[in-house]
Amino acid sequence: APVFPRSAYCAASVASLTNILTPALFAGTAEWIARCQNWEGGIGGVPGMEAHGGYTFCGMAALVILKKEHLLNLRSLLRWVTSRQMCFEGGFQGRCNKLVDGCYSFWQAGLLPLLHRALHARGDTALSMERWMFHQLALQEYILLCCQCPAGGLLDKPGKSRDFYHTCYCLSGLAIAQHFGSGDLHHEVVLGGPENRLQATHPVYNITPEKVARAVMHFLQQPVPSLEPAA
Amino acid sequence: DEIGLIPCPEARYNRSPIVLVENKLGVESWCVKFLLPYVHNKLVLYRQRKQWLNKDELIDITCTLLLLNPDFTTAWNVRKELILSGTLNPLKDLHLGKLALTKFPKSPETWIHRRWVLQQLIQENSLPSLVTKGNLGAAPVERIHRLVQEEMNVCSEAAGRYPSNYNAWSHRIWVLQHLGKLTVKVLLDELSSTKYWVSMHVSDHSGFHYRQFLLKSLIGRTVTDNNVLVQNQIINEQNPSLQKEEESAGAEAACAEEQSVDLPRHLEEELELCTELIDSYPGHETLWCHSDETLNNSHHSPATSPMAQAMDVDGLNESSSKQGYTQETKRLKRAPMQDSFGPEVEYRFIDKVLSTCRDVDQARFATAYRKWLVTFLGQ
Repeated sequence: APVFPRSAYCAASVASLTNILTPALFAGTAEWIARCQNWEGGIGGVPGMEAHGGYTFCGMAALVILKKEHLLNLRSLLRWVTSRQMCFEGGFQGRCNKLVDGCYSFWQAGLLPLLHRALHARGDTALSMERWMFHQLALQEYILLCCQCPAGGLLDKPGKSRDFYHTCYCLSGLAIAQHFGSGDLHHEVVLGGPENRLQATHPVYNITPEKVARAVMHFLQQPVPSLEPAA
Repeated sequence: DEIGLIPCPEARYNRSPIVLVENKLGVESWCVKFLLPYVHNKLVLYRQRKQWLNKDELIDITCTLLLLNPDFTTAWNVRKELILSGTLNPLKDLHLGKLALTKFPKSPETWIHRRWVLQQLIQENSLPSLVTKGNLGAAPVERIHRLVQEEMNVCSEAAGRYPSNYNAWSHRIWVLQHLGKLTVKVLLDELSSTKYWVSMHVSDHSGFHYRQFLLKSLIGRTVTDNNVLVQNQIINEQNPSLQKEEESAGAEAACAEEQSVDLPRHLEEELELCTELIDSYPGHETLWCHSDETLNNSHHSPATSPMAQAMDVDGLNESSSKQGYTQETKRLKRAPMQDSFGPEVEYRFIDKVLSTCRDVDQARFATAYRKWLVTFLGQ
C-alpha cells in the first residue's frame, strides 16, 4: 500500500518509546524511506511518488528515530519544505500548488526542528540559535486568526468544520511555532498575549518532552520481551 | 457509468429512491440513513458468523455498501474472498470500483482493492488455462494492453473529478510499472495523451509530477538500453560463438528500436510546453516547478551529453529505479548542455516574463527560478 513512511513512523515511534527497537526490526527501512525522497526534495508514499507533507514528516521523523536522517538529501528537503509556507496565508500547504491547510502547521513546520537538529549535528555553522527556518509568527497568525472555530476546536481553513484531527495538528503546529530549541537554547516567540502560549511539544513524537522522557524511563526499567512465544 | 446522491431530504412520494437516467444511477439522500445501516449490519452479522448470507446476497450487499461507502474495507475483503473462490468475476470489481470512483474519486480503499484485482488478473495470465471467467479471451499481451488503457482512463476521470488527486495519479504510476512494464511505447503514449490534460489543469501538481515520472523513466530506459547494447557488443567481441548471436541480435534490434527515442526532442518539447503555459497562465507554481526539473533532466540526460554517459549510468543505478533523485553534487559535475535549449534561452524567457508580467506570484516564481538557475547551473 502506498503509505509506507506513515507505517514506518508509527512502528519506529512505538518501538523506540517502548525500548524494543532492534536493527533487525527495521532492517532496510531507512533505505526504503530514503528512496521515497524524490526530485522535489520532499518524500512521497512510495519511491517515485509526489512529495507530500504528511509522508515527508513521517519519513523524516522515522529516520531521525533510526538515526539515519543523513540518508536523505537534507538540503533539497529543506528547500522543498520552506517553499510550502504560503506567502499570503502564513500557513503551510501539503504539496506544491495546493491550498493551505491547518494540519500542515505540524506536518510541514514540524520538519524544521528535525532538519535544524540534523544539520547542526553535521556541523552546519550557519544555523540560527534563536529561530527555526520558517516564519514562526506568520504561522501563528494563520492558526490563531483563521483556524479557530468560534464554538471551540480548530480546523483546516475558514469555512471548514472542526474535527479532532485538525484540532490536534493546529495546536501541535502552534507549539512548534512558539518554541525554539530546548534547555539552555530555548527561545520563545508567542504571538499575542501569554494566554496564547502552549507548552512545547517534542518534535519527533509530538507529545510533551516530559512525557517522552517518562515513557522511555518506564520501559527501560521493564524487562525486554523475548522473541520466543510465551509458554 | 456514474453514480450520485440526489439531495432529497424527505420521501415525498411513495416510490423507489433509486433513479436511473441515461445510464446514471442516483440514490435519493433520504433513504441512505435507512439503507446503509441495514446493509452494514447484515454484513457485520455475516462476518461474525451470526447470520448466513449466500453468495448472491453477499455480492449484492457488498455492492450496495461500496457504492454508498467505498472505504469500507471489510466489504472489499469479502469480495476478495468471493473472487478467490471463483464465484465472482474480478472484472466486475473493476467495474464496481470505476463506478464508486465517479462519486468518490479519492477513495483509498477502492484504489487499493483495484490493485489487488489487477494483480490477480495478471497472475491469471501466466497460467495456461485462463479464459474461464468470461473475460476478453484475447492473447495475454493484448489483454494486458487493454487493461492498461482502461486504467489510464479510470485514472484520468478520477483526476478530473478532484484536483491533484494523489491516489489516482499514484495508481496510474503503479499500473505503468506493474502492468505496462515501463516500455518505451507506453511511456511515449502516455506523454502524448496527457499533454492536453495537463494544459487544462495547470495547477495540478500531480499531473505534472506524472509527466516528470514519464520523462525520468524514459531517461532511465535509454540508459539501460545503452548499457545492454554496450554489454552485448562487449560479449560479441569477446566471444564470437554462434550461440549468443541470435539472442543478442534480437536484443540489439529491440534496443535499436528503443534507441530511436529522441530524448532531447521530448525534453525540449516539455520545456516548450512549460514556457507556453507559464506565459498563458501566470502565477502557477507547479508550472515553474515542472520547468525547473525538466531543465534539470535535460542538463544531465545521457542523450544530451554522451561524454557524461558512464557517470550517468552509475548515478542512475545507484538511485535504484528510474525515479530516484540525483544528488546535487553529481549535478554540478555534468558535461555542458547543447545550445539548442539551455540557460541562455531560459534567462531570456525569465527576463521577458519579469518585464511583462503583472501577476505578483508570477514575478516571484520567475525571480526564484532565476536564482536557482544561477546557483545550480553555475552560469
